[in-house]
Amino acid sequence: MTTAVEISVDSSRALDSVARKTRIVGSALVGPALILVVAINVLPAFYGFYLSLRQVFFFGDEGYVGLQNYVALFRDPFAWQAMGRSLIFTFGSLVIAVPLALVSAMGIRRLGKWGSILLTVLLVPWAMSPIVVALLWKWILVPSPGGLVGAVFAAFGMPPQDLLTDPILAMPTLILIAVWRNFAFAAIILTGGLGQIPRDLYKAAAMDGLGAWEAFRKITLPLLASSLLIVISMLTISYFNEVQTIIGLTGGGPIRQTTTLGYLLYHTGFVELDQGRGNAIAIVMFMINMLLIALYIKILGKQPGAAA
Amino acid sequence: MSIGKLDRRTVLKLGAASALLPAMGKIALAQEHSGTIRIWTFLSAEGQSPREVVLRDLIETFVAANPGVSVEVESQPFQELETKFVAASAQNRAPDIIWMRDTFLDLVNQRGALADLNDELSASFQSDVIPDLYPVFAEKSVIDGVRTSLPLWPSPAQVLFYREDALAEVGLDAPPLTWDEFIPVAGRLTSGDRLGLGLPTNDNSVSAFINIMTGFGPGIFDAETGQFDVTGPEAVETANVVRQLVSVGALSPTLLNAMGDDIQDQFAAGRFAIVQAFAPRFAQYKSIAAAYDPDDLAVSAWPAFGDRPPAVLLGPYWTVGVSAKSENKAAATAFVEALYTPEASMQWAQTAGLVPDRRSVQSDPFFSTPEAESIAVFNALLDAPGALTFPPKLPDITRVFPIMNTALQELIGTDEDVSAILERAKATLGW
Repeated sequence: MTTAVEISVDSSRALDSVARKTRIVGSALVGPALILVVAINVLPAFYGFYLSLRQVFFFGDEGYVGLQNYVALFRDPFAWQAMGRSLIFTFGSLVIAVPLALVSAMGIRRLGKWGSILLTVLLVPWAMSPIVVALLWKWILVPSPGGLVGAVFAAFGMPPQDLLTDPILAMPTLILIAVWRNFAFAAIILTGGLGQIPRDLYKAAAMDGLGAWEAFRKITLPLLASSLLIVISMLTISYFNEVQTIIGLTGGGPIRQTTTLGYLLYHTGFVELDQGRGNAIAIVMFMINMLLIALYIKILGKQPGAAA
Repeated sequence: MSIGKLDRRTVLKLGAASALLPAMGKIALAQEHSGTIRIWTFLSAEGQSPREVVLRDLIETFVAANPGVSVEVESQPFQELETKFVAASAQNRAPDIIWMRDTFLDLVNQRGALADLNDELSASFQSDVIPDLYPVFAEKSVIDGVRTSLPLWPSPAQVLFYREDALAEVGLDAPPLTWDEFIPVAGRLTSGDRLGLGLPTNDNSVSAFINIMTGFGPGIFDAETGQFDVTGPEAVETANVVRQLVSVGALSPTLLNAMGDDIQDQFAAGRFAIVQAFAPRFAQYKSIAAAYDPDDLAVSAWPAFGDRPPAVLLGPYWTVGVSAKSENKAAATAFVEALYTPEASMQWAQTAGLVPDRRSVQSDPFFSTPEAESIAVFNALLDAPGALTFPPKLPDITRVFPIMNTALQELIGTDEDVSAILERAKATLGW
C-alpha cells in the first residue's frame, strides 16, 4: 500500500523532472540567441577592450601598451572638445526631439486615422540611410547655385548662407537634421505609451476640475514615464553615437566644430588607422552611454508609471 | 623500318620530343589560365564613367582570350581600399588584385600583403613593358628591391582645372604661374555667385596646402625623413598665400568642409573659375559640365614661388598590385599585364582622356588630333621641370592630410596668427 509520504516524494520527483525538462527546453530555445549575442556583441566588446590596451596601427599589433591609449586620449585637448561637442549634440537634439515627439504623438492620437497617415510620412526620414540623408541635406543646403535653401534665401533677396561651413551654425544645423531624422521614431513609441493611459483618469480629472495642463502634468507625464525612459535612452544612444550623418555632411568640420566623440572614433580608427586608440575611444563612449542610461533610470525610474 | 624495330636516330628524336613535352605543357598552361579573379577597385563594373567603360571592355577582352577565367570586380569606397585590403589579407580573404594609392604602398607592403611582381610578371613584360612605362612612377613602386605594384594612369595627379571662358573675362588665356601674379587674378575671377578658386579643404586624401607648398620645389621634403617643415619659412609663405587668396575674395570660408567630390560637382554647376582637381577625372569633368562649355575646360600646373618652375605634384596616383595570398597569382598577374597592352593604353587615352601607360603608343596619330590636346598638356606637365612625387616613405600618411586640411580651414576661416596655426599642426603631427 502506498503511503502519503511516498506519494508526496513521487510527486516531488515528478515536479522536479518537469522543471528540469522545462529548463532544458528553455535553455535550448534561448541558447542560440544567447550564443549569437555573445558572439556578435560581448566577445567583440572584450576584444575591443583588449585592443585598446595595445598599440595597433593599420592592422599591425605592435604590442601591449597598458593604459597609454587612454592616457593619450585624456591628455588630448581635442578629445575633450569632442566630448563636449558630443554632449552638446546629444542633449541639443534630445531637448528638441523629445518634446517634438511628444507633441506629435498627442496630435497623432487626436487626428485618429489621419494621424497614422501623418506618422507614416514623418517616418520616411528615419527609414532612410543616414548617408542618403546626409547627401540629401548637403544638396539642399549648398549655398549656390543649385541649393534649395540658397534659392529660398535668394527669393527673399538674402545672400546665400552655407549653414554647414559656418563654424557657429554647423552644429545647430546638424542637430536639426538629426532631430528631423529621428523624432518620428520616438513619436511612435510615445503614441503607444499614450494609448495605455486609461481615458477614465482624464474624465475623473476633468470632474475634479483639473485643466488640460494640470492633467498633462499630473497624469500624462507620470504615466508616460516608462515610454519616455525608453525614448530618451534610445535617442541618447542614437545621438551620442551618431557618426554617419556627420561624415556625410561636415566631415567633422569646419575647423573641428562638429567633431564629436563618435566622429573622432571613426577618424582615429578608420582614417588615421590607429586602431588601439580608436578602441580606447569606443570603450570611453560605451562607459558614457552606460552612465547616461543609469542616470535616466535613476531619475525616471522613480516615476509611478515607470514600472508599467 | 619496321614498326617493332626503331633505329637509333628515331629513338633519339622520340627521346628529345618526350623531354620537351613537359615544358611544352607548362607553356600551354601558362597561357591558359582558369579560375576566378577578384578585383578591388573604386570603379564599378556597372558604372558609366569613361574609366569604368574602359575597364569593362578590358575585362571582356581578357575573358574572351582566357575563357576559363572569370573576373569579378568588387567596387569599394576609394578611401577604404588599402585598409580593407590589409584587413582582408590578414584574414586570408583578400582579393587577387588591388587598386590603391601610391602613398600607401609602403604601409601595405610592410604588412606583407603584396606579392613581389618581380617573381610574377612574365619575362617579356619585365623586359619590354616596364621600360616603356613612365620611369618616375614605375620606379616608385619598387620598395627595397620588391616590385610591389604597377602604376596606372600616369598623371600629374592634383592639378588646376580652369574655365577658359572665365579667364577670358579678365583678358587671360591661362592662370598665371607665379603666386604673386595668380592671387590678384584669382580675386578678379570671383564674380557674382562664382568664386575665383575652389580647393578641397576636408578631403583625407589630398592637401591643397601641400600642393601650394610644392611651389618651392622638391626640396620641401626632407630626403631622409620624408617630412616637410610644417613651421618653416616655406610653410609660412604658403599660409600667407592662402590668407591673401581669402583677402582678395578668391577663396571663401564657405569651402571649409569641401571634399574633392564637392569641388567637382560645384565646379560643374559653375561655382568656380579654377579648382584643384584630380587629373584623371578630366574627361568626367567635361562630361558633367553644366554651367560652361566643356570645350572651355583646360588644365594648368600650380603656380610657383619666385622664379621657380610651375609645380606639378605627381601623386597620390593609382597603382595596381597582386595579393601575396592570392591562390591564382598567375591569372591575376596575367590580368594585370592585360591592363598595360598597347591596345589598353590606347583605350584609356581615347575613351577616358588619360595619358597612356605605354609611352610608345604616343606615336599613334590619335595623339596629334585636337581630341588628344589635353593628353598633350598632361604629358607636358609630367615632363615639366617642377614635377615631383611624394617621398617613397611619407611618414604619418594617414594623418598628414587631415591635419594639414584642418590648418587650411583655420587659415581660411579664422584670423588666428599663421604661426600659431602651423605650430598646432606640427604639434598634432608630432613632428
